[in-house]
Amino acid sequence: MVKPKNGIKITGREPPKIGVYICWCGINIGGVVDVPKLCDYSRSLPNVVLASEYKFMCSDIGQGMIMEDIRAGKVNRVVVASCSPRMHEETFRRACEEGGLNKYLFEQANIREHCTWVTMNDIPGATRIAKDHIRMAVAKAGQLKPLEVTTVKVEPATLVVGAGIAGINAALDLANSGYKVYLVEKSPTVGGHMAQLDKTFPTMDCSSCITTPKMSEVARNPNIELMTYSEVVALDGYVGNFKARIEKYPHYIDQEACTGCGHCVDICPIECANEFELGMKPRKAIYISFPQAVPGEYTIDMNHCIRCGICKEACPTDAVHYNDISEYVDIKIGTIIIATGFDPYDAKRLEQYGFGRHKNVINALQMERLLSSYGPTEGKVKRPSDLKEPESIVWVQCVGSRDFTGRGKKYCSRVCCMYATKQARSYKEKHPNTQILIFYIDLRAFGKGYEEFYYDAAKNYGIKFIRGRVSEILEAENDNLIIRAEETMLQRPLELEVDMVVLSIGLEPREDIDDIARIFNVTATKTEDGFLMEAHPKLRPVDTLTDGVFVAGNVVGPKDIPDTVAQAKAAASSAATLMSRGEVEIIPYYAMVIDHKCAGCKSCIGLCPFNAITFNEIESIAEINDILCKGCGTCVAACPSKAIIQNHFDDVQILPMIEAAIPKKSQKEEVKVE
Amino acid sequence: MEIIKTNKITKISDDLSNLLRDAGYLELSACIQCGTCSGGCPSGRRTAYRTRSLMKKVQLGLKEEVLSDKELWFCSTCYTCYERCPRGVPVTDVIIYLRNLAVQEGYMQAPHLALCKMFYDTGHGVPINDNFSQLRKHHKLSDLPPTTHQFPKAAKEIQTLLKSTEFDKLTGVGDYEKKEDKKGG
Amino acid sequence: MASNGLKFALFLGCVIPNRYPFIERATKAVFGKFKIELIEMEGASCCPAPGVFRGFDIDTWLVVGARNITIAEELGVDIALMCNGCYGSLLEVNHTLKHDKEKKKMVNEHLAKIGREFKGTAKIRHVIDIMYHDIGPEKIRNRTKYGRKVPLNLNLAVHYGCHLVKPRDIRPWDNQVENPTFFDELVEISGCKSLNYKDKFMCCGAGGGVRGAFKELSLDYTREKLENITAAQADAIITGCPFCHLQFDLGQVEVNNIFKDKISAPFSIPVLYFTQLIGLAMGMKAEELGMIRSPDLKGVPPFTPVKPILTKIGESA
Repeated sequence: MVKPKNGIKITGREPPKIGVYICWCGINIGGVVDVPKLCDYSRSLPNVVLASEYKFMCSDIGQGMIMEDIRAGKVNRVVVASCSPRMHEETFRRACEEGGLNKYLFEQANIREHCTWVTMNDIPGATRIAKDHIRMAVAKAGQLKPLEVTTVKVEPATLVVGAGIAGINAALDLANSGYKVYLVEKSPTVGGHMAQLDKTFPTMDCSSCITTPKMSEVARNPNIELMTYSEVVALDGYVGNFKARIEKYPHYIDQEACTGCGHCVDICPIECANEFELGMKPRKAIYISFPQAVPGEYTIDMNHCIRCGICKEACPTDAVHYNDISEYVDIKIGTIIIATGFDPYDAKRLEQYGFGRHKNVINALQMERLLSSYGPTEGKVKRPSDLKEPESIVWVQCVGSRDFTGRGKKYCSRVCCMYATKQARSYKEKHPNTQILIFYIDLRAFGKGYEEFYYDAAKNYGIKFIRGRVSEILEAENDNLIIRAEETMLQRPLELEVDMVVLSIGLEPREDIDDIARIFNVTATKTEDGFLMEAHPKLRPVDTLTDGVFVAGNVVGPKDIPDTVAQAKAAASSAATLMSRGEVEIIPYYAMVIDHKCAGCKSCIGLCPFNAITFNEIESIAEINDILCKGCGTCVAACPSKAIIQNHFDDVQILPMIEAAIPKKSQKEEVKVE
Repeated sequence: MEIIKTNKITKISDDLSNLLRDAGYLELSACIQCGTCSGGCPSGRRTAYRTRSLMKKVQLGLKEEVLSDKELWFCSTCYTCYERCPRGVPVTDVIIYLRNLAVQEGYMQAPHLALCKMFYDTGHGVPINDNFSQLRKHHKLSDLPPTTHQFPKAAKEIQTLLKSTEFDKLTGVGDYEKKEDKKGG
Repeated sequence: MASNGLKFALFLGCVIPNRYPFIERATKAVFGKFKIELIEMEGASCCPAPGVFRGFDIDTWLVVGARNITIAEELGVDIALMCNGCYGSLLEVNHTLKHDKEKKKMVNEHLAKIGREFKGTAKIRHVIDIMYHDIGPEKIRNRTKYGRKVPLNLNLAVHYGCHLVKPRDIRPWDNQVENPTFFDELVEISGCKSLNYKDKFMCCGAGGGVRGAFKELSLDYTREKLENITAAQADAIITGCPFCHLQFDLGQVEVNNIFKDKISAPFSIPVLYFTQLIGLAMGMKAEELGMIRSPDLKGVPPFTPVKPILTKIGESA
């Protein structure tokens, strides 16, 4: 535990000289309450030596007023009555500091969100409440003590969780900046969903061609320790000083001895579903995910292996070891980036489309594999029932997205309009006589080059876009499909028989997102979309509310590759910013145990929502980690011996506020309603 | 000159959608005209009736057009659209409510009016007759079922209720039976 | 007394007692074999029909529907019914009034005038629900094992209808709605096979007031269904609703007439209510299942002969 420089013995015994500054905030405050009258009122309060007002206290001029008064020695405590501290507390604190005053000798009275914004139609009432707020803030200001910000060292290492395109980019940027990166990936190979894609829109780049170089780079970079087929199973610590335990699952193959000859795969008698090929092609129990996998390591899937011993016998270098167990690695890092990606929507949930029942209804990710040259049909799109190349294909948009029934997600998955157009174009390029129809509600082509791509697909490739959400898909003879929809532009019902249907499925949070959120102590927005929650949707898109933990890519919400890479780079930059200074500030509102008062009852320990309190068995007292402590005050209130105090929210600071909130008879004059 | 005709919209009003919102059908305002309803409608694929268009007309407030159109009565209330609407619009219930409004404005199909009369007079929409009484006897059942047919007091109760809800006034049966026909639309 | 404790108030509706009484007869006979007690609901009225009366005035529909439910509430039992339309009405009315205080208050104000009160103590059960959940396909299959010397071995076109299954949220089919199988499970007994045919789950066309006001439109739906069922080579159509039954039975004759220029050949597929099929599989007599015509009466169902089925399974007419 780090003790603050001056401890709690510093009290600042000089008498308080409080300056009250009241902001008009344009008409937000000034249009409801009489600001000059509030100034008059403020001057009548105890310890207040001056009261000023200005249209926008947060402006340079407003801040200047505070700084001048401090420098002139007029005030040694500052109260600003304005908006919520969530807006400008830092601004005014910095102003105090620049003026030469300890920044914690500042208190803000919220007379906007807590006053004028909620009592706009009751001017006398608003004025009364504003006076209450100011009176309370002045009462506290009189009791404020100067506090020192302490710092803690930051470990110059990052844990990146997930090695898809987001994780890979974040890892590379950090590694190339000189930081140590631990890149942990749950599956046996890096690359994520991007490795499953055929081409990328709008450039029609081959996805593996642009991904595999990055995959190799990430494996070779001297600053990156790559752990695939591994999972973070425990996390401890706080910003700058995290400790993580990683479980490395056994491949049951000695990777040093393995030469990658593949003989074991050839002779393995067990076939099971191939996750990478989305069930369209089997794999053996001993396998490598796909030919360009990085690392190029073989794995035995013990859920299907029967330990017949054939591969063990056949291996020329005796690399098969059935009795391998997990290895655990403990690491120390300063920052964490979560980049665990998404899961595709399970289209079986929309029964009217027949996914899982009609043989020739597939989903878009399966179509990617069919289009891919190293996919189950080597790049020739063949329909599942008879392996015929389809002469007519329909893409159904918004499957599992824009759905308010509970059978899908409410949001738009952002990429499906474009990926469907791309897939359609890929197929039409090779088979110009195919009838291709995309059934949509809206066609969203928002990104750079997207609208042009859409125009090109329609104009030069003759792909037909039909506005009408598909209502149902029936099976016809020969396993053909019948599409029923309304051509809403012509207002005519439509019933067409086609060879194959591709469902443009949405992007959802991973099945295990709750586990991820729990381990990393971040929030998943379970009430709405279920993705991990960013600290602020506009201004902090890659931060979380847990200091030191950042997020990037589809784990936050559905997005295309450019946005994913941008977020990965943003997260790396944020992590680097934090680590570059070598130390991080600890805000001094933490709670502290007064050792001699602590009875060792342990009541506080279970109450702490941030797991910041531990019990020192030797001395039989509770100890609070001031970095993990967020100053919520729960332990302070709960301690039966009153042995815990909290900086900046001590009883001597709060009790006067409570007293000031309820005016005594003698103060009635000040609060007379005008 | 018959080719010169317009159905230009010159007024958009909230009157009709407000009635539906007051009745609790708020999702209607969220309809994005995706066409799932019409796409699966068994009536729509053999008539000019378009469920989706009906929803749009309600949103725009084309009240007279909606309530007077006999297409409003082409829906067989199969609830397929209700189940499939991605915005959760209770489509079939909206149509049923619109039908209530149409009847209030005096738009009703003649055969339906006849049903109302039978309901009022006997308590059954499809009452028994001698032939079918014989059929019941053939099937070893009582000649009259133990319904309002067998219990006149119960039939009277139905009439009391239909008077109490003013159904008789609404549909023109019982004391309100008139000689002239309802507007068929 | 019911040996399995199952006891229900049987709601008849209109079409069954007044047009298709053999559905009542067959269901009572089969339920008796399973020791399910059915008691009469004296003074019940039209449910009221959801396709027409709900479309005219929802409040009236709630009030009259509630009155029917109070009859069962007074008997202290749940309601069993045999019609998709009555199911759609009473299930929805019951659910609405159990959850909407204002509507319940409104309804009870009207019911007070006839000395009744809706309490919300009864459940509404379709006979398919009772057979599937309370008895179960396996028990039914066991009962049919030794029912007949020769299994029925029929190819069946099951027609679920609409209100049996939709809207799904208050129905007991465990989220089955686009591709349900529960009704098929009930009838795949005694060697019978439930066929897949195009648009198996499509509406028959009768409901929503369509048969009443636009008969030809309703019959065009039926024509399409009959074409698909014929293409699948079904021996019989199985229904769970008298209105669907009427539409396929009388409707088949009407389709043969008005669409004779549109169809390749007249249709002649027998239509059975599902309890008739279960009864046959259990070895019950065709007569007690209401499958023997009355020799004297004209203009009564079955309009499409069921005799071919009886012949096929070796029963004497």
